Amino acid sequence: MEYILDVQNIHTFIGQYHILQGVDVRVPKGSITALLGRNGAGKTTTLKSIIGLTPPREGKVIYEGKEVQDMRSFDIASKGIGFVPEHRAIFRDLTVEENLKIAERVKGDYLRKKEFIFDLFPDLKRLMALSGTALSGGQQQMLAIARALVADNHLLLIDEPSEGLAPVIIEHMMKAIRLLSKDSTIVLVEQNFLVASQLAEYYVIIEEGRSVQAGSMKDLANDKAAIHRYLGAA
Amino acid sequence: MSSYFRKNYVLLITLSVIAALFVAAAQGMEKKDFVITLLRGLSVGSLTFLVASGFSLIFGLLDVLNLAHGTLFMIGAYIGWTVFVRPDTFVDLLTPLALILSGFALGDVYPLLATRIRLGLSVKRILPWALVLVSILIFGFILPRYPISIWDVENYGQSPVTYSFMADQGTRLLAPVAAFTEISAPLALIGLLLASIIGAFGLSLFNSVTQQQFKLNWKNYAGFAILLLVALLTFIFNESLTASLTGLSSNWLFVIAVLVATLSGAGLGALIESTLIRPLYIRPIYQLMLTLGMSAIGIEIVRAIWGRPEFVMPKPVFFNGSGGVCPATNFADWWANNCSTILLLDGRVRVYNEIFIPIVGLVVLISIWMLLQRTRLGMVIRAGVQDREMVEALGINVRRVFTMVFALGVGLAALGGILAAPSMGLSNAMGESLFLNALIALAIGGLTNYPGAALGSVLVGLIQQFIIKYGQIGIAIPFTDIIFKPTPPLVPASTVLLMVIILLILPNGLLGKKE
Repeated sequence: MEYILDVQNIHTFIGQYHILQGVDVRVPKGSITALLGRNGAGKTTTLKSIIGLTPPREGKVIYEGKEVQDMRSFDIASKGIGFVPEHRAIFRDLTVEENLKIAERVKGDYLRKKEFIFDLFPDLKRLMALSGTALSGGQQQMLAIARALVADNHLLLIDEPSEGLAPVIIEHMMKAIRLLSKDSTIVLVEQNFLVASQLAEYYVIIEEGRSVQAGSMKDLANDKAAIHRYLGAA
Repeated sequence: MSSYFRKNYVLLITLSVIAALFVAAAQGMEKKDFVITLLRGLSVGSLTFLVASGFSLIFGLLDVLNLAHGTLFMIGAYIGWTVFVRPDTFVDLLTPLALILSGFALGDVYPLLATRIRLGLSVKRILPWALVLVSILIFGFILPRYPISIWDVENYGQSPVTYSFMADQGTRLLAPVAAFTEISAPLALIGLLLASIIGAFGLSLFNSVTQQQFKLNWKNYAGFAILLLVALLTFIFNESLTASLTGLSSNWLFVIAVLVATLSGAGLGALIESTLIRPLYIRPIYQLMLTLGMSAIGIEIVRAIWGRPEFVMPKPVFFNGSGGVCPATNFADWWANNCSTILLLDGRVRVYNEIFIPIVGLVVLISIWMLLQRTRLGMVIRAGVQDREMVEALGINVRRVFTMVFALGVGLAALGGILAAPSMGLSNAMGESLFLNALIALAIGGLTNYPGAALGSVLVGLIQQFIIKYGQIGIAIPFTDIIFKPTPPLVPASTVLLMVIILLILPNGLLGKKE
């Protein structure tokens, strides 16, 4: 199998705290891979370590065959990784349109991708001139994902897309993510096991800063013991 | 609309109280006094704004409290003065300065060079220190022997005070041309170039973050080539350049002085950010101490070079006319005679101080606003003020934007400095008082809010000038015979008082956003 992303035994510190103590994540090209685990297990830190916001002190992050763990964030992102952070991080002082434009990596990215983005999230089109603060949670989530689509990204790191959203909007978001997975690979952090199990083909469970189990989602769905033990879900 | 009132009623009430006070202040004085006081307030406000806006941009994006900002304002004034009053010194300095900077312009090349060098671990640890030491030794050998025709602080006849005074009288004195006597010219030039490259390479080795391997192209050498060219040309054409600058009308020389001061400020800012501030982003307290130290060092350097006595930079002839036709009675009249003063509503207004400076302040206000709102750089700055990490994760090199913003901020302060030189005069303390003004203005307007910086600065300027004016004419206390005259110490106190009151009502300042 061809892996677009191969995270090997990374150790990440935040301040003096040893947050990640050996995480391996292998992401097959074209798949949706979910990072599962309880609150505070280190899923978000794993995503941030991949994109270089909390660079790992040890271990390797190999993206498209190249080691990127020592590069700065903007360099890693420029290689074609889109990041949709927890809590969306929409720029409040920018309009919706500017929030998209700022993600251009090559001049004209936004104009090229505009139509695709508005097909995916028609709501955004009529919100264009509003400022980032005026959006609802669901609209912010759409904008955060849309922002990651402006540049040519092959890998999308999406953190908690369903967090705090109404069920109808979660449905919409899942549909969009599934559509996106046709063209790009997606790594998903998801608390809601139901959402994760419907979307992802592969999973990695992270527990207390270590990756403890990985495989295909189908196998996990039948492994009630593991679900109960690591995710606390029935 | 009504929801706007409900959300912002505290702000609106505060602003109306300030406006009411302002109207009341206007009632208590004659019309001509009012006009002069208003314009003076705007003038002080504009200078304050130039310092405050740069400080606030830097603080907003970089989270750096640049305590040296007032000192950099002052340095801008002194650099501008040097260009304006002593163009010969300025031209003499161009060659060595360009050479000293040239090594740093190769910044992109060093990481690649460093990866090519294979050394033992212990050598690798010593190497940066050794290189910097060698570079300092070479500089220490050459620079004191490099001939620059400069004033002499110790000798009153050749001190900046005298040169400034003579220039104001219309005779520009020049010191005798300095020549290469202690050191041969080629040795000095090549030595400076080498020392610069060695030093810059050494400094780059301290930065242990491994960089991405990238291919070098001509752009990485362009800055170096330009600086080298500048150094050579100014060396060869030194005398003719000096002659043409001294022959220039003082208006054009003033324009050049403003440009040089602003650009040097920006360059100095870029240098400070990329060498001193950058390693300390993870240690904010050290950063604070660093900028405080830089401020003290800056003042001492200015004292050592330009001396302690205060002096005033002459105004360019465009604003310095006098004689029977002056003061001008209207702007057409002023345009014809370039009087230094003009009569507006019976008040004698100094054109440079009270009209030109506020206009420049307004122009800067609008241009920076356009930069922030209409350009991609502005968009990145606005986004970065809120969330740097996210901007970086989008693939934008935030560090480069940091350097640009620091350069912009310091450039604005330096512009303020050179503009203030003909009106406030040059002194070692000019930066500190204005910096304090700027901090108060920012606290009033909202720390990282750009329009807030403008509003706060204007309020601070107006309050100070009105208190000064009322110190002369006195305030009649209603229903009594008492006439209260605010004493000079009340001038700074009044702005602090305004700040305290506003912060009690609106903890984030007038236009600041809730965090």
